[in-house]
Amino acid sequence: MIELQDVSKKYPTGQIALYNVNLRLQQGEMAFLTGHSGAGKSTLLKLIALLDRPTQGKVLIDGFDISQLKQNQVANYRRSIGVIFQDHHLLSDRTIFDNVALPLMISGMRPADIERRVHAALDKVNLMSKEKDYPMMLSAGEKQRIGIARAVVNKPSIILADEPTGNLDPGLASDIMQTFQQFNELGATILIASHDQPLIERMGKRIIALQKVKGR
Amino acid sequence: MSKTKKQATSPIRSGVSQHKQAFTHSLMHLWQNPISTWITLAAIAIALSLPAGLYILLGNLKTLTDDNREVPTISLYIKQNITEQQAQDRAELLSELKDIENVKLVRREDGLRHMQQIAGVQDIIDTVGGNPLPHVLVVTPKMSLFGDSGVDLESLALRLKNYSEVDTVQMDIEWVQRLRAILHIAERVVLVVAFLLGLTVLLVVGNTIRLNIENRREEIEVTRLVGATTAYIRRPFLYGGLWYGLFGGAMSLVIVHSSLLFMIAPVNRLAELYGSHYSVSGLGVSVTLIILFCSSLLGLFGAWLAMAQHLRKKHLMQES
Repeated sequence: MIELQDVSKKYPTGQIALYNVNLRLQQGEMAFLTGHSGAGKSTLLKLIALLDRPTQGKVLIDGFDISQLKQNQVANYRRSIGVIFQDHHLLSDRTIFDNVALPLMISGMRPADIERRVHAALDKVNLMSKEKDYPMMLSAGEKQRIGIARAVVNKPSIILADEPTGNLDPGLASDIMQTFQQFNELGATILIASHDQPLIERMGKRIIALQKVKGR
Repeated sequence: MSKTKKQATSPIRSGVSQHKQAFTHSLMHLWQNPISTWITLAAIAIALSLPAGLYILLGNLKTLTDDNREVPTISLYIKQNITEQQAQDRAELLSELKDIENVKLVRREDGLRHMQQIAGVQDIIDTVGGNPLPHVLVVTPKMSLFGDSGVDLESLALRLKNYSEVDTVQMDIEWVQRLRAILHIAERVVLVVAFLLGLTVLLVVGNTIRLNIENRREEIEVTRLVGATTAYIRRPFLYGGLWYGLFGGAMSLVIVHSSLLFMIAPVNRLAELYGSHYSVSGLGVSVTLIILFCSSLLGLFGAWLAMAQHLRKKHLMQES
């Protein structure tokens, strides 16, 4: 379960990204985070992924305040969640296999297990045939699916996605959402930030709207 | 946190696996960037070659002074009427003195045989007729190094002169003393040069790794985002520094030994002209291993410094 209690985030420049946000996401729930550009969607996901810390309030995962995690525990925490970025964050000098395998390699998994897991993840996003290719050889949609494969290869219980369909045409965007739906059916808690209102309405899931803080 | 049961990976196996990854990735990185790798290795090798070369030079000069023929000795020329047995008895008595290391008797026959090997001396001997040479006692005082002398050589020589069998005393030590004094200074110079060039290696590796970090900033960031620990991020760069140091050290050894091979023939020729069988010696196994170990350590430390600076900067940025 993901819970935000009175969470605020103010940057040193004085800009307030989030103000007094309260949110609760049940285990196994899939929800969408929406709002105008600058409403704080990405910031909220960063706080949950511990890529940033709130200036006020608590972020609880399964009842545990993750701001209490020490520096060496943060890496472990990040390995337990899957994050998908709008700009993929794939390593251009590594093959698709190596990109997807990255979280497993970081975990120090045996090569045989890595191979099995990566193949399973690539199979789920229907890109098994691309394992030896490099990111530059893939389309935007394929890159995004590789990003998803990398996020789920460690079998995380929480998946966070920041504008995963931002650069995709409607057909591909719909395919990506279906992929998320499948992972949700397998039990993962999923929170997706998107400003594609028609698409997320079609999914029939909870929509959490963030509003830009006035005067910031 | 996952609902799915995660496959257990033991910490030891995980650690070994991560080290294997860093080991191979760092080597691959060097292989994939041949130009920058060779330039860095060449810079390290040249920087290490100079102290290593000076060390060899110094070692060889020391060999000259440590040679049995060349150690500081006092020659006692025995009177002509003293028999070989009397000279031998005196040698044994002298060798028991506390400030004498050993005494060697050079019989007049041996001395003559040695003289006859020197070109032009045979004619002089023929002119003189018979063997004009006396027995000689070669006394080695207890003094392993210049400056460590526990004995007053002048007074020792004076005491030796007082023995009735002794005709003349000759001290063969002045040039050795001077050479050793020069070598002592040279040793310090080599140490200073080694320190400065070691610092250069540290800076070269540190700067190379810093550039590697800049070039792989995206990779570091992505790895961090998907859950890499600081140790995991740091490890391939540390291995990289280690390889630079190790391979640079190995290259310096190749340079030094190639230069030595280039020098051996003219040095041997010069030694022959002086009637010496002196041969140039290179770096022994232990010194070779020490150079490789030190260069690897310098590389590792240079990389560690570069990585520490990067992580500190990153930490400051996150805090702000």
